[in-house]
Amino acid sequence: MKRWIPLLAALLTVAACKGSTSYVDLLPDIYPDYIGVTVPAGIAPMDFNLPAEYDRVLVQVTGSNGGSLKVQGKWARFPLRAWRKLTGQNAGGTLQFTVLGRKDGQWTQWRDFVMYVSDAPLTDYGVTYRKIAPGYTTYSRIGLYQRDIHSFQEEPIIESTLTPGQCMNCHTANATDPSQFLFHLRGKHGATLVQQDGHREWVTTKTDSTLGNMAYCYWHPGGRWVAGSINPVRQCFWTGDQQPIEVFDTASDLVVMDLRDHSLIVDPRLTTEDWLESSPAFTPDGKTLYFCKAKAYDVPRQVDSIRYDLMRVSFDAETGAFGEIETVIPSSGNGRSVSFPRPSYDGRWLMYNESDFGVFPIDHKEADLWLMDLATGQTRPIDEVNSPLSESFHNWSSDSRWFLFSSRRDDGLYVQVYLASIDENGRCTKPFVLPQRNPRKFYHDIMQSYNAPDFTNARVRFDTRGVYREVFSDQRVQATVKP
Amino acid sequence: MDRVNKAALSTLLGVGVFAFWMGLYPQALNYHEQNQLFLFTGDYFRERMALPGGFADWLSEFLVQLFYYRWSGALVLAVLAVLLQLAVWRSAGCVDKRGSRSLYALSFLPSLLMLVHMGNMEVLVSYPVALLLSVSLCPVFARAGWHRLWLIPLGWWLAGPVIIVPILFSVLLGRKWKDVLVLVFTALVYYAGYRLLAAQYPMRDAFFGVNYTRIREMLPALQVIIPLMALGCIFGCGLPMKKTVPTILDWALFAVLVLGTALGVRQAYDRDAYEVLAYDDLIRHERYQEVIKRAEKYQPPTPVSACSVNFSLFMNGQLSARLPEFYQCGTQGLVLPSIRDNVSDLTSAELLWMMGMPNITLQYYFDSMESIENGRLSGRFLSRMADCNLVNGWYGPAEKYLDLLSHSLFYRKSALRRKEMLRDEAAVNADPVYAYVRSVRFRDDFITGYDRLDLMMAILYNQNENNFMAAEYYNVWQRLKQMEGQR
Repeated sequence: MKRWIPLLAALLTVAACKGSTSYVDLLPDIYPDYIGVTVPAGIAPMDFNLPAEYDRVLVQVTGSNGGSLKVQGKWARFPLRAWRKLTGQNAGGTLQFTVLGRKDGQWTQWRDFVMYVSDAPLTDYGVTYRKIAPGYTTYSRIGLYQRDIHSFQEEPIIESTLTPGQCMNCHTANATDPSQFLFHLRGKHGATLVQQDGHREWVTTKTDSTLGNMAYCYWHPGGRWVAGSINPVRQCFWTGDQQPIEVFDTASDLVVMDLRDHSLIVDPRLTTEDWLESSPAFTPDGKTLYFCKAKAYDVPRQVDSIRYDLMRVSFDAETGAFGEIETVIPSSGNGRSVSFPRPSYDGRWLMYNESDFGVFPIDHKEADLWLMDLATGQTRPIDEVNSPLSESFHNWSSDSRWFLFSSRRDDGLYVQVYLASIDENGRCTKPFVLPQRNPRKFYHDIMQSYNAPDFTNARVRFDTRGVYREVFSDQRVQATVKP
Repeated sequence: MDRVNKAALSTLLGVGVFAFWMGLYPQALNYHEQNQLFLFTGDYFRERMALPGGFADWLSEFLVQLFYYRWSGALVLAVLAVLLQLAVWRSAGCVDKRGSRSLYALSFLPSLLMLVHMGNMEVLVSYPVALLLSVSLCPVFARAGWHRLWLIPLGWWLAGPVIIVPILFSVLLGRKWKDVLVLVFTALVYYAGYRLLAAQYPMRDAFFGVNYTRIREMLPALQVIIPLMALGCIFGCGLPMKKTVPTILDWALFAVLVLGTALGVRQAYDRDAYEVLAYDDLIRHERYQEVIKRAEKYQPPTPVSACSVNFSLFMNGQLSARLPEFYQCGTQGLVLPSIRDNVSDLTSAELLWMMGMPNITLQYYFDSMESIENGRLSGRFLSRMADCNLVNGWYGPAEKYLDLLSHSLFYRKSALRRKEMLRDEAAVNADPVYAYVRSVRFRDDFITGYDRLDLMMAILYNQNENNFMAAEYYNVWQRLKQMEGQR
């Protein structure tokens, strides 16, 4: 009897639509494209829209392991609890979607499609990101947010309304653990906020012998060290109609800060004038630091000549000493440039961006995600997730079975967050955009980009009142250079 | 004072305020209008209502969209001024149990002070709207008794902290021990409401307003003084007098207040800043001859004004000939480098658009919009950003901007017309403006920046000799560079 239930349900669904229903043997044109994606059990409901000319949509979802859902409305709006129950019940199975749409009073049914429910649960609480207008040099509203991935709950960690005139850099947690995180606040009262187990410190990381404040940071897994690049960022224009701007570093050095005494390790090999060092990332065992390095050129005139290689250097977490530097991917020799290396937390993979030049892939249409097998050293573009438009910043879930990345694939400018899973062989699944209620309207109306997304394994706790007092108190810990 | 004289004074206030904005400072209306984009959508309403004072803010933005036309903007502000005066007078009727009132002219003080206060161009219309709502509620609060317990949070949510006016009014009027509890309750409401609705704002905003000024860090003294003066005026007008005040005294008081306002206006309105706003307003409406006429009388010695006057000279075919007659400050007075505010870049953006540099135009407009300190969108800026995206064939962002504009009142028609061009290259090429910009723009894609602007002008002219604007600007650029060198 059980196997007849889906058929009966489908028949009932069709019967629910008054008037005649025509069948089209094509997949429905849904937004976002959730057809064939793989989702974790317990993810927020994967609501979707039909094209605007359809004023009504009726969807029947049937799980391969049982359970079903039927919704009807202006868009496919799945109830939170029922959806989570259905995906939980079908972990490792599939969800079959029967979709009908009404246009001019006529119902159309399309070919059914499936969504895969991964057997790898996404145990993290959610994602963090910065929301910012995808623009140039000025930002009126900017904020760091956290979003519960299992619902639609988004809440601000800190918004610029609290600290007017201070622009904030990306929130960086230690391997998705929000008990250790930092971000840099720019402006008159600028400093790097380091929060560890609820204790906050405001550190001025600029010293007399370094270029400026640490900008793009990465935690050492032990929590004592933070690697960061110091890079004054500028931009220039393209005159044609391919892309508006090019962002580049006028100089770039790499330092590591010891959080015990706020001293900086300034290794002359990582702070050279003729070379640009950027995008640091520690391996999960803390013994290696990956980073990117390029020959410096006269910018902006020769900005398209700057191509970064992927490098690594061994690191002694006891003393903070660096070992030998070696080139991992000599991409500049092939006319390509590597950025944002991110080792998975299980030590199995390394994901990075490749583009024609530079270290800011978001402005490069050709920028793609690549994957390196750390066991064999083999690399490949992740064609399963790449698009004709730019893929950029990315990070791993705490168990390294999921990753997220930012992409401009939707409209060419406003960046969205996509999630995908990876199996033990390195095969990735078709990515899906961060679910939203009424997603077409949501993503079409939003005037901000999702910037520097990351997973967070728990809800970020942040005392905004305390932060407000401290920002304007200007009480700072001055970093020093380790002798 | 009899009804005829009262009506005459109120009418005089309305006509005066209308003439003030229409004749003296219409550029302020333009400035307010281009720093917001009111949308007829539920989301827009909900977004405004999510903050204390949200209803006053929403209502004021609805009104400010009417500033698109000078006359309707001036009319809105005139009506607000008269309504505020009438609200003060009406509330004064509650002070004395017999409802006797006197000193009609005193009820004009808050409206006249508001005129001075709005000389600060970052003071939003939501402030007079919130004050008007609050003063209008004084009679309600006076009779509300314990109903104030729900009126206070509601009022705070709708109008913001100036709801303190009717609260204090009712407390001062009642003068009972339970009114002390009302004040304590008010403080609790302000604090709890702040934690609930405005946790991402500094706490002082709960007491001084999240949306009364475009720049929240500023707290003009008049923002605190005017509500107190309004309260004082209500009691001043409502106190019982033993003798009837002669009409002539009311007229004399009115004359004194007007004189004081004139002096206040002189102090509060920064001449140079408003002159620059006037240039921008005139250039937006393509009234270049008027820019030149104004500059012939007085021109602020700033790069922004030089840029506007030079552009107007060019549009009148007089740039080369009359260049030395006006204030010059080198090449940055011809085309400004990007400046992080919401006014300075606009003329440069317009001229670069005409010259064939849509990408820099896009940046200038984008940064100008992001420089609106309270994070509002701008109909004017968004509209030009859509143009730049259409010319570049970047239809995704263009569609986003045009869809937003299609929910507005005055940008809707043009947005819908341009939406029909989306993803239709033939339609874009058939549009005379887009076709022209496409014909004069760069044919090659290369990287450049402001420091090589003269070179870019030369390239534009060399690739299309019909681009006489690039040629003339290039020549003038070299002349200004020479003049700079000689200094």
